[in-house]
Amino acid sequence: MNFLRLGSTVTLSCALFLLSSVRAQEPAAPAARSVWDGVYTEDQAKRGEPVYHKECAACHGDQLTGGESAPPLTGGAFLSNWNGLTLGDLFDRIRKTMPQTNPGRLTRQQDADILAFMLSRNKFPSGKTELYRQSEMLKEIRFESEKPTEKK
Amino acid sequence: MRDRKMFRLQFGLLCAAAAVLFSPPASPQSQTKNGDWPSYAADLAGTRYRPLDQINASNFSDLEIAWRIKTDNFGDRPEYKLEGTPLMVNGVLYATAGSRRAVIALDPGTGELLWIHGEHEGKRGGAAPRQLSGRGLAYWSDGKEERILYVTPGYRLICLNAKNGQPVSSFGKDGIVDLKLDDDQEIFPDLVTGEIGIQSAPVVAGNTIIIGAAFREGMTPRSMRNNKGYVRGFDVRTGKRLWIFHTIPKKGEFGYDTWEKDSAEYTGNTGVWTQITVDEQLGLAYLPVESPTSDFYGGHRPGNNLFGETLVCVDLKTGERKWHFQLVHHPLWDMDISSAPILADITVDGKPVKAVAQPSKQGFLYVFDRITGKPVWPIPEKPVEVGSVPGETYSHTQPIPSNPPAYSRNGVSVDDLIDFTPALHDRAKEIASKYHLGPVFTPPTASKLEGPLGTLTIGTASGGTNWPGGSYDPETHIAYIYACNACVEPIGLVAAPKDVSDIAYIAGTAGQEVTILRGPGENAGADSPKPKKKPASQYVPMNIDGLPLMKPPYGTISAINLDTGEILWQIAHGETPDVVRNSPALKGMTIPRTGQETYNIGTLVTKSLVIAGEGQVTTTADHPRGAMLRAYDKKTGKEVGAVFMPAPQTGSPMTYVHNGKQYIVVAVSGGPYSGEYIAYTLPSESE
Repeated sequence: MNFLRLGSTVTLSCALFLLSSVRAQEPAAPAARSVWDGVYTEDQAKRGEPVYHKECAACHGDQLTGGESAPPLTGGAFLSNWNGLTLGDLFDRIRKTMPQTNPGRLTRQQDADILAFMLSRNKFPSGKTELYRQSEMLKEIRFESEKPTEKK
Repeated sequence: MRDRKMFRLQFGLLCAAAAVLFSPPASPQSQTKNGDWPSYAADLAGTRYRPLDQINASNFSDLEIAWRIKTDNFGDRPEYKLEGTPLMVNGVLYATAGSRRAVIALDPGTGELLWIHGEHEGKRGGAAPRQLSGRGLAYWSDGKEERILYVTPGYRLICLNAKNGQPVSSFGKDGIVDLKLDDDQEIFPDLVTGEIGIQSAPVVAGNTIIIGAAFREGMTPRSMRNNKGYVRGFDVRTGKRLWIFHTIPKKGEFGYDTWEKDSAEYTGNTGVWTQITVDEQLGLAYLPVESPTSDFYGGHRPGNNLFGETLVCVDLKTGERKWHFQLVHHPLWDMDISSAPILADITVDGKPVKAVAQPSKQGFLYVFDRITGKPVWPIPEKPVEVGSVPGETYSHTQPIPSNPPAYSRNGVSVDDLIDFTPALHDRAKEIASKYHLGPVFTPPTASKLEGPLGTLTIGTASGGTNWPGGSYDPETHIAYIYACNACVEPIGLVAAPKDVSDIAYIAGTAGQEVTILRGPGENAGADSPKPKKKPASQYVPMNIDGLPLMKPPYGTISAINLDTGEILWQIAHGETPDVVRNSPALKGMTIPRTGQETYNIGTLVTKSLVIAGEGQVTTTADHPRGAMLRAYDKKTGKEVGAVFMPAPQTGSPMTYVHNGKQYIVVAVSGGPYSGEYIAYTLPSESE
């Protein structure tokens, strides 16, 4: 084996190793439920609506279509951004960085209500129980942009 | 688990060792000026062009990550919208980074941190209208000293010694010029919370620094009064103000009479928030000016409103106006001039023309003789629709370029709506029927429950070409411009309750605004819909089960020959979004690549390639969840390679040569992925 070949072998192994490292940081086993399983209530979404309009709409738009400095919270780009992740990931993003002028100012309950409102606007079905306030519980709910074809 | 971690660590070290072992030998190829990237857009002409060709069609897909740097810790929280483009000069890479908008200096070959500078601005930073890391910085040298200049979120101009990141004490006061002072206006309400800032990179030409201004989003401002976005020139050695250009003229100045009823006195905004372009040889600077206060309602500023949405050419050394061209009279569509004007020395009908080409949100490329301001091809005034929003005044004509043709959609008709299937087209028509439709410059309407809810626009607030702007190849005279071709913006106006705004109408939707904005017990304005006990659900999604309302292509790159104005090719940029590819409604159909509806994509042009990343995440058979950095043959637009990014491109790519190797650096972030600069280069064995 010459040096060049050894080099590419090691490079390839390194690339695979790095890939596996990255993969290992992603959420582990797939969550049992998804956003299609009625994970928030209508009332909660209604509670979240005025909070959204007060805290979020100035940048994300009253139709959730985004603005120059803020991404849309509905439609293809939004769905693609979160597809395959969990509601916990989305919730944590809101907790960590929003509202931009004073992140973390809202309570977990308010953030959960806003998230419920966003789910309703994105036409995910409502259900009988409210959305959790705990990230670890929300991480059990998959964000899937397409409705699964086969449901148990 | 522990064992596995140990293994990782050791194997990681082996990899590091291997990287050292197999790093390329020092190349005899000397560093040329062309190997640097000394200003935000590569040069002061706004070209984003470097004639490098080590990375080319034959090897682009072989690119590997040379180094990467997360920006999480350059601030008190991570940022998810990293928009910077670094500089690379004399063997050092400089960038703004993190929610602090820190300045970092890195080794361009390894990404090793050389120094960092951050300004802790407290409340002033927290109240800033434009936060996060911004778009970048400027470099200056007289051959001996090297300086880095940037503006903090709190609107202070900072001058650093490029060698060590220390403030230059002879500049301003201890390296700082407070931009809220000496601005020919008193920033209100006070210096800490007064709304003014900027996120773009400063420009330095000769010994002059030019700084513009930016404000909050202007859809629903609290008042018709705001601070004004004047543009200033400063001495790069001392920080002394050299000149100021009043983007809203003062009494007695040219253009004051385009603000009827003394509205120039109180109207604000009208800043230059995007990149400024300079022709150093001619000693001219080109200022792309944004909209005046209140993006969609101009009833409090009757008249044409110079220099709102106007391209203004000023003297680099004095700021004196040489010529101007207003792209939109009496602005009502948020058609800020959003990107750097591009300087192009072209040949039109056999005659050389020193031109300036201005991409726009509205998909027109406006081309002028940059010395005289005369349009290269006629831009006639054409009649446009006049609206009926109470109190509004309208311009009855707007200038519409005869050449080049519009390179992206700038109006909405039923023919533009999704038509993959008749059923989808019908649903789109149902949505569109709630709105007023029309071509470019169709004015906003008042939002009514019975309809229209507003005007369905495209090529307005977030359409067409936004802040990343275009690229230009000075050898072939071809411009390459990305545009969002499906970024629909419904613009409806509602009467603003008095406790919310003193503006008669602000952006909103009938049935929602009272709930949104009204204080307890307050009555809304006369023309607003009656309050309901429960919020009326007048929400109309601008998509159909996630599918864009418009036909593809959703995002395009166009190649435009500036000698003739001809669009040479136009391609859909970006993988077909997951929601389209996996849509049950489209099952069994073959859909050609659609591109993506993102508005913040910047392009890079090299000797043979046009390079741009995707703005959306996809998951395909070819790659896991992520986005691709794509390369196109710049002659044909054919894709010749792609490389994986873990998140969408959010800052425009740049390129440089370091120790004989070409690198491409791009900023990625978004969704759950916090900001990261990633540097790509070719593997050693490809050399």
